[in-house]
Amino acid sequence: MKSRLGFVPVMAALGFVFLYVPIISLIVYSFNESKLVTVWSRFSTKWYVELLNDEQILNAAWISFKIGAISATAALVFGTIAALVLQRFGRFRGKTLLTGMVSAPLVMPEVITGLSLLLLFVAMESVFGWPAGRGLTTIIIAHTTFCMAFVAVVVQARLADMDSDQEEAAMDLGATPARVFWDITLPTIAPALISGWLLAFTLSLDDLVIASFVSGPGATTLPMLIFSKVRLGVSPDVNALATLMILIVAVGVMLAAWIMHSSKSKTAGSNSGEI
Amino acid sequence: MTTDAISPFISEPWTDPSNKPFIRIRGISRHYGAVKAVDNVDLDIYKGELFCLLGGSGSGKTTLLRMLCGFENPTAGSIEIDGQDMAHVPPFKRPVNMMFQSYALFPHMSVAKNVGYGLARDGMPKAQIDNRVEELLAMVQMEGFGVRRPNQLSGGQRQRVALARALAKKPKLLLLDEPLGALDKKLREETQFELMKLQEDLGVTFVVVTHDQEEAMTLASRIAVMADGKLAQVSTPRDVYEYPNSRFVADFIGGVNLFEGRVTADEENHMKLQSSEAGLEIHVGHGVSCSPGQRMWYALRPEKIRIARDRPDQPFNVVEGMVEEVAYMGSLSVYRINLDSGKQIKVTQPNLERAQDNPIRWDQRVFVSWDSSAGVVLPS
Repeated sequence: MKSRLGFVPVMAALGFVFLYVPIISLIVYSFNESKLVTVWSRFSTKWYVELLNDEQILNAAWISFKIGAISATAALVFGTIAALVLQRFGRFRGKTLLTGMVSAPLVMPEVITGLSLLLLFVAMESVFGWPAGRGLTTIIIAHTTFCMAFVAVVVQARLADMDSDQEEAAMDLGATPARVFWDITLPTIAPALISGWLLAFTLSLDDLVIASFVSGPGATTLPMLIFSKVRLGVSPDVNALATLMILIVAVGVMLAAWIMHSSKSKTAGSNSGEI
Repeated sequence: MTTDAISPFISEPWTDPSNKPFIRIRGISRHYGAVKAVDNVDLDIYKGELFCLLGGSGSGKTTLLRMLCGFENPTAGSIEIDGQDMAHVPPFKRPVNMMFQSYALFPHMSVAKNVGYGLARDGMPKAQIDNRVEELLAMVQMEGFGVRRPNQLSGGQRQRVALARALAKKPKLLLLDEPLGALDKKLREETQFELMKLQEDLGVTFVVVTHDQEEAMTLASRIAVMADGKLAQVSTPRDVYEYPNSRFVADFIGGVNLFEGRVTADEENHMKLQSSEAGLEIHVGHGVSCSPGQRMWYALRPEKIRIARDRPDQPFNVVEGMVEEVAYMGSLSVYRINLDSGKQIKVTQPNLERAQDNPIRWDQRVFVSWDSSAGVVLPS
């Protein structure tokens, strides 16, 4: 070691600065007393208090959480089924196609996903009469669609790691396929399911583009509200709101990462409880 | 359950055609596209046998095993276990249990729950399960380990737990896929004998898959040597070694010297084989069904050859050669000898005495000889 300021530490430090200085400044300014966002006067939590009294924001937050929870749960169910089919059912007609289709939403530009879903919903309404108008339901459907892809990828990776001998051994010992799933597969992939759900929840909470396309009157999500507020000029209460969202998302992502990591190092998931 | 056990080492059920086989495999095949993993295999396995499927990787032995427990469906053919056709019986309904090569213990369950898993699936009451698990753990000398998790066990201990779990439901047939493959040499030898004793005590029919010919020789009542999805030979370990039916089997099991030759005399009680490879006319002390001039091979095991510096007093099966290399292995010595015909052969001699006054060394000329009953004539 020639000097302590080597290339790698310097680049790492620059990277962190690049990534986190904007976020840190946002957090710092959310505690600014001044009404002007760029001028620091003194520390205050008044914007947080204002935020909690703002009916519109609280309403949007509630809608976002509802959408997040429902679509994450739905994405978990469908994503897990997709992962199981791809990982455990051997070869079948259209497997390659399905593999591609499942991961397509990961790389699809959100604008295109949003637009195509909007067109689909409009067409469906005129043909079947459902979903009637755009709103909560359509956002949930849209979020389920793209979150499912993330869940499928996470669960599939975990299934690929898992020794299929264990499932065969359980079957050999007299467990029906459904029983094998509950006793062996589920406990083993449980960490992936939890982190998949958390990931889906945070993605849904974050989404602005797709939600803007498929939303309707009365279904304004939190990111949509922030975006519309910022268009009228950045006000300090938006800083406070953004800080809270960062907190929630960060906790969610860290929890997901920690669950995945700790389960890998133990090679064992949670106990199935009973046998 | 031990009373009706038939020890394969006392009676040999396969020699009596009136015996009903316990497993009856007829014309079974498993093809993956153009690859014939198992190809038209017929096999009978009898109750109480410790039967080994021996073969290299890709020989189809594991596929055959997986068809017995129902994880693979045969492309053609039928399997009957204890008189019951297994065609449409799913794995969880077969009277068969398997010990996996990876052991496949459930990492999120304790040892006791692992062992009791099959019993719980059968709806056995909890108290009874606990008793049976105790009994099984005692049988494999793992008392007191019930509360541990599989990742807190050593490789040898995991192997025992896997064995206890596979035996928990008292299966009629236990399948073992490379049961000792993951153990080190010393432990493997110990475990081999324990496995044999267990099998004899319980009287359960064992079918063992292995690629290790020594393991198969030690364990088995009979061995099926597999190659390219077919059975090359099915016999007792002694017969597979002493009377191989092809060059492949002779070469696969133990060391062998093969000489190509042509039949020059074919009598009822002896035959002769002119071999330019060996540089002599080989005398065989028994008749073989063949025709004069036919091309055949003579398989001679290294330990059945004698070497000496002086010409031995026998009228046939003597050739001269030069010692190329000597390897001292403790209990025996291995000699590589270049015959005057140019063929190199391998000879092993037991080291019966500690001090040898004048041992045979490399670059010495020696006489190589063998009895007329020492080798086997192979048509293919």
